Amino acid sequence: MRRSLSILSGLVALAALGGASLAVWPIGAPPKPAERDGDAQRGAYLARAGGCIACHSDPGSGHPALTGGAPIKTAFGTFIPPNLTAHETAGIGAWSIGDFARAVRQGVAPDGSPYYPAFPYAFYGHLSDQDIADLWAAFQGVPAQELIVGTNDLGFPFNMRAGLKLWRAAFAEGPPTEPVADRSEVWNRGRWLVNGLAHCGACHTDRNLVGGRRPGRYLAGSDDLPDGDNAPPIRPDDLAEAGWTVSGLAYALKSGIMPDGDTFGSGMGEVVRHGTQWLTDADRTAMAVFLLDNTTPAKGD
Amino acid sequence: MTFRKLLLGGAAITGLTAAAFAHSGATGVVKQRMEAMKSMGEAVKRIRPMMAGEAAPDAAAIRRAARTIAAESGNAMLEKFPQGSMDDPTEALPRIWEEWGRFVAIADQLELAAKGLERAAGNGLTVDGHMMDSQSGMMGGQSGMMGGGMIMGGDGFPDGMTPERIGRMPVDRAFMMVTQTCSACHDRYRQEDD
Repeated sequence: MRRSLSILSGLVALAALGGASLAVWPIGAPPKPAERDGDAQRGAYLARAGGCIACHSDPGSGHPALTGGAPIKTAFGTFIPPNLTAHETAGIGAWSIGDFARAVRQGVAPDGSPYYPAFPYAFYGHLSDQDIADLWAAFQGVPAQELIVGTNDLGFPFNMRAGLKLWRAAFAEGPPTEPVADRSEVWNRGRWLVNGLAHCGACHTDRNLVGGRRPGRYLAGSDDLPDGDNAPPIRPDDLAEAGWTVSGLAYALKSGIMPDGDTFGSGMGEVVRHGTQWLTDADRTAMAVFLLDNTTPAKGD
Repeated sequence: MTFRKLLLGGAAITGLTAAAFAHSGATGVVKQRMEAMKSMGEAVKRIRPMMAGEAAPDAAAIRRAARTIAAESGNAMLEKFPQGSMDDPTEALPRIWEEWGRFVAIADQLELAAKGLERAAGNGLTVDGHMMDSQSGMMGGQSGMMGGGMIMGGDGFPDGMTPERIGRMPVDRAFMMVTQTCSACHDRYRQEDD
């Protein structure tokens, strides 16, 4: 008794010394939250919807999934989406779930440095703790692959990561995803996907000279995508004028086929093959319902 | 102006419209392949509503469309892409001949998928339409599900696909084997800009 009391008082002193509070001091072995309550199946679904697999894999290279994406050539330089397998050094195997949460939701690397906005973390800020735990569980199931396909190659001044802190202050907020009370569940689900996880605006909203999304150009299209690609405007009026319906759009997100019989191009085919074709019909319909009835204000209009 | 707006409007920015626009000036083999692409696009357009659940599936119409696509794929398609046939106006990218083996594989894959679609024409649609459910046996419950061809990887045309195997799929799944092939090729080998 006496012994355990002295241990306890010792611990209290230690906690006070470190400025830590007993309330947050973990007891027992540190739990792995992902193993405890993450649903890997759901996480893999979110990873599809979020484009993790599309961007961080390069099927054409013959490399395994998630070992790194094809180079993204931009005006600022070339970005290489890194290895996200469970490898300790080449991938994210040495990360904690906390590192993962901060990287995905805030765009900050485990060493504290900011990520480039080529990684669309601004659209992932709304993910819940459960979403993160599920994603983490899924990523932990990816077999480790010791492969580093390359590193970013950026010119001055974009190679100065500190500059990104200014960028973050100006542009790091994604479009709104929280439910709107008087709208349907389907519409709200669509909004959560379109404005958030599926990050449509990463391509369909034009960017300014420093790569920030132009506030007045929300989903108004962009002619200035990496590799000279372009993305059409997808505001409700644009879609209606081009003849899109909920069913036609939902099916296009499944098949890559447009109502005129042609396929999507400019990389949208890839978005479908690696992303939206894997979603449920209900989620694709929700995205279409929201896109055709999207009331998100374009700031600055 | 309306036409231009439509073009910029994106739904029509690719293929058919641009091809129709370009046909006026195209000659020789470039024109032939534009016509071939157009006939395949029209075949896809005719049966798309059946696959999307907007119209009742018509097995005979699906068979006809599948035959049209099969007839224009494989060698029939490759013959229309002789080395360096880049005469204006064309949407073909030089990458086709830089990666000829890969292009051949996609053309052959299209033929195989279209023949599978012909066989699947009478099969009816997937009940739910959700790949994870319809293929749960293949994708569920694996510890390595994020890699190696499981639900987090392996988007390519599955190895060992034959018209017979595709012919046993629900017709909308078989149609997807065709359309994903079209899309994969257009993404990589077609110029999308105006």
